[in-house]
Amino acid sequence: MIPSQYQPPLPLDRLLIKQGSPGAGDSMELDVLFVGAGPAGLAGAIELARLAKADASVGELNIGVLEKAEALGEHSLSGAVVNPIALRELFPDLAEQDLPLRGRVEREAVYLMKSGSAIRLPTPPTMKNHGNYVASICEIVRWLGQQAEALGVNVFTGFPAAALLTDGNRVAGVRTAATGLGRDGQPLATYAAPNDLTARVTALSEGTRGLLSQAWLEWQGVSSENPQIFALGVKEIWETKRPLDRVIHTLGWPLPGDAFGGSFCYPLEPNLVALGIVVGLDYKNAALDIHVLLQRLKSHPLFRRYLEGGEMVEWGAKTIPEGGYYSIPARRSGDGVVILGDAAGLVDVPSLKGIHYAMQSGIYAARAIFRALQRGDTGSAQLAEYDRLVNESFIAADLYRTRNMRLAFKDGFTAGGLKAGLMTLTGGRFPGRRIAMHADADAARREMRDGVFAPDGKLTFSKVDGVFKSGNTTRDTIPTHLIAAQQVPADVARFYSHVCPAGVYEEVDGKLRINAPNCVDCKATDVLGPRWTPREGGSGPKYKRM
Amino acid sequence: MKIAVCIKRVADSETRVKIAADGTSLDEAGVKFILNPYDEFAVEEALRRKEQAGTGEVVVLACGSGATQETIRTALAMGADRGVLLESAALPADGLAVARALAAELKDSGYDLILFGKMAIDDYNHQVGPMTAELLGLPCVTCVAHLDLADGKGTAEREVEGGMEEVEFPLPAVLTVDKGLNEPRYPALKGIMAAKKKPLDVKPAALGTPGLQVLAMTPPPERKEGRIVGEGAAAIPELLKLLREEAKVL
Amino acid sequence: MSHVLAVLEQRDGTLRKVSHEVVTGARRLADALGGEVHALVCTAGPVAGVDAASRFGADKVTTVTNDAFGPYAPEGYARVAAERAKGGGYGAVVFAASAQGKDLAPRVAAKLGVPLAGDITDLSVDGGAVVVTRPVYAGKALLKVKVTATPAVVSLRPNVFTPVERPKSGAAETVAASGDGGRVVVKGIKAAAAGTIDVAEAPIVVSGGRGLKEPGNFRLLEELAQAFGGRAAVGASRAVVDEGWRPHGDQVGQTGKTVSPSLYIAVGISGAVQHLAGMRTAKVIVAINKDKDAPIFKVADYGVVGDLFEIVPVLTSEVRRLTSA
Repeated sequence: MIPSQYQPPLPLDRLLIKQGSPGAGDSMELDVLFVGAGPAGLAGAIELARLAKADASVGELNIGVLEKAEALGEHSLSGAVVNPIALRELFPDLAEQDLPLRGRVEREAVYLMKSGSAIRLPTPPTMKNHGNYVASICEIVRWLGQQAEALGVNVFTGFPAAALLTDGNRVAGVRTAATGLGRDGQPLATYAAPNDLTARVTALSEGTRGLLSQAWLEWQGVSSENPQIFALGVKEIWETKRPLDRVIHTLGWPLPGDAFGGSFCYPLEPNLVALGIVVGLDYKNAALDIHVLLQRLKSHPLFRRYLEGGEMVEWGAKTIPEGGYYSIPARRSGDGVVILGDAAGLVDVPSLKGIHYAMQSGIYAARAIFRALQRGDTGSAQLAEYDRLVNESFIAADLYRTRNMRLAFKDGFTAGGLKAGLMTLTGGRFPGRRIAMHADADAARREMRDGVFAPDGKLTFSKVDGVFKSGNTTRDTIPTHLIAAQQVPADVARFYSHVCPAGVYEEVDGKLRINAPNCVDCKATDVLGPRWTPREGGSGPKYKRM
Repeated sequence: MKIAVCIKRVADSETRVKIAADGTSLDEAGVKFILNPYDEFAVEEALRRKEQAGTGEVVVLACGSGATQETIRTALAMGADRGVLLESAALPADGLAVARALAAELKDSGYDLILFGKMAIDDYNHQVGPMTAELLGLPCVTCVAHLDLADGKGTAEREVEGGMEEVEFPLPAVLTVDKGLNEPRYPALKGIMAAKKKPLDVKPAALGTPGLQVLAMTPPPERKEGRIVGEGAAAIPELLKLLREEAKVL
Repeated sequence: MSHVLAVLEQRDGTLRKVSHEVVTGARRLADALGGEVHALVCTAGPVAGVDAASRFGADKVTTVTNDAFGPYAPEGYARVAAERAKGGGYGAVVFAASAQGKDLAPRVAAKLGVPLAGDITDLSVDGGAVVVTRPVYAGKALLKVKVTATPAVVSLRPNVFTPVERPKSGAAETVAASGDGGRVVVKGIKAAAAGTIDVAEAPIVVSGGRGLKEPGNFRLLEELAQAFGGRAAVGASRAVVDEGWRPHGDQVGQTGKTVSPSLYIAVGISGAVQHLAGMRTAKVIVAINKDKDAPIFKVADYGVVGDLFEIVPVLTSEVRRLTSA
């Protein structure tokens, strides 16, 4: 079964709208619009606001950041162990303890897991985290948001961008999603029409599998050497009775031999632990369920000893772009537009880092945008300055060095491990030629069931319990935002039910049943199954410290 | 119409309650704060009445810490004209103290209507509205679920056990409002931007001496382990016996 | 030595049952303060059942009459209660946190210039001061509060202070109050249509899930709800609301309503956490499900495993017998 055969194409007719088309209620003009208030968008807005304040030549800039979550951070999820370099660049005058980071990584351990036991491995050089900090991306985002607002940036939460506004070949801005529609699409009493926001430059900082970024790349025919590939991470936060004093990464069990990924366990505080599992979405078993893998992982003695007697306080999921260097689009700038962070694929999988790249790309984008505004020219050639800044920076250098590491694993764990080891030793020079990769949805799968999972409600939980703990209180009467194929056979419906960590899909009487309100916007569905589109603002999870 | 709306910043209802180290208050780490949902109905009602009248002013008042400014801005984003924060680092458990501070600010201000949400979802006190009315010497109707105003008079409906009570009152008046009075609007993008420029005065809150002292905040008693009473219809007599004699709910 | 003023409630000339709880609570306080319970009720004419006050511990019962006091007259009642409380030098004043009490108690407290400890679930006296317990954060925490002002004005959460018979003399007197009812005038009460008790307000909720198999089978739950004599409402899990079997207003849990009834009966509901979140604060939870491993049994106080189509009709007829007894 090949998932791409059942995937509807991107609905470009909905995603690209000519500026001035009817359908919007209010409209607003900005100078620069950032779509997505994650680390990339907020860092970009902050740097741009600073540049404008320091240099009066462009006058006062009206900068907006659109965020689909009800409040900052609620749709942000990451491990995370963060390299502070970008935060220090943005805030050179702040002391370490004033940055929105948790503890410095002092101790770390990597294990190769088997069912029931774990072998300590020497930490691979790519994963050494000395000088880095455990952090919660939610806390980083909320803090960045405060800094941005203090600089006069307008942060609009609860407003998802649903389409790009186009003016010829130019991106003129975005149109937001409507609110207050009933299940049948009819306006309710709370109906509010979409808004059009136009800007001289639109920075797409939508995060992983950004919808408008995909639409723009397809529209403009911009491709990359390899298609982008993704992993799905499912994560929980636990209040534990037993303290954790180190950063832990594991490989091996419970992942099947042909799947790429591993797990992480980080102490936000000694007794507040973030743990999760990350698995590449090109796995071969159609019955693989990553949420279930995480539940199984917790019963391993290595984890159980920390979690026993504790309480799961949050649950969530998100995809991660894993393609690295060869999956980054040939250009991430165009007429009136730039693409930042995860949406551009700026993530280094071997070191599990993306937050500082996102922020740094935001900083570079701000500088390029400012130059463009100074020159009065926001065309493609001028904004290509952003690409140049990224290409000449440590972002490109880091990603180039590890360009084949993830890709090496497509042939399996052992072979991959061997190749990855060689790459590390040779600084990426060997094997150096691009390893070709196919898109996740094009990878064939077979259903190989491996037992029934029964949550115990104390250590392990069902998907519905997880969704509850994600803080998801999406209105049940909301129209479905997922675009599935017309006829979905039973085995594909079952596949979807395993792909989605939030229990959105079920196979009932041979048919696909969609529980759209469960969706936590992880985007796994967009990668392998029904296409994702944004819902009304405030829908989805409400992460607090993920 | 000149309308005042008194609002409160409260912890989101989905908050997982953890007790702070002092043993008497909520641990605020990771807690999301929002505009008290019942106050949203009050703000919406004020906006509608002003829109209907064609002219007027909607002023939002709150008693609370500096962070409450954010909550006032939410009401301003919905369309209120200006805000007043009566600042106090911590809000007392004594609703009369809050009422005193509000009454001092509202005195002699010539409001046609002063609106409150019927209660706050954190303390469930249900009292600051009517107490403020008492201190101002104004008529007051609580838990208003339906409202008609005409010619300086009003008719309200409020829920009581077994039905809806119909009440008449003169204006000016203090009303506390209940869910179902209206459907609050979402702040529009323009409203959010405009809110930043609207006036927000911050003054110290004249709370006076509170007459209630919180001794402790504790988690509720653990639910006792449940049990399977039996199988099939045969278990019914035993179930009913337990419900009557042990659980005392029948 | 302090006396306690118990403010009772009548409707249409009959004492409301919640007043028994008020006297019981006042009696507990008075015993601890070493004083008497003086009950007070405002009315236009005689109040049937007011003698119950002495049965539950009132030493004195004062009926205050005024032509305008038939229906609830907020300002008139508040004036009378505050004057009595002040004039009598009471140590405490007790109300029910009923719809009327929630409106009246704050007015009286403000008139007396003292705080109100409202909706309490427990009370005691510690070193001469009244100490109360009240639920906060939707019952997720309990607050223990000491009242440092005098009189201590409190209102009792209904259905918590189970009435206890403590017969006292209950010397009755009737006094006329001068003045009118006040500026706020209650015109009447429109009774709720029979059978439309709201799921969020009902003391008993009978909720159904997918186990009922078809929308028509909800009839079984409607009959069970009716058997409880107008005190029960029918709720629904999100799954069946999604299917369109029941209206959204009936949904319990996860963006549907949060209910806190005395008795919650979950029929054919597996117990997904989203549903549990809506009914977890119910006093007593009963679950009926054919799957003995259903998560709902972990949360239920009492569970019955078996075929609901067999069990529910039997439960209905047994409840009917009990209610009509």
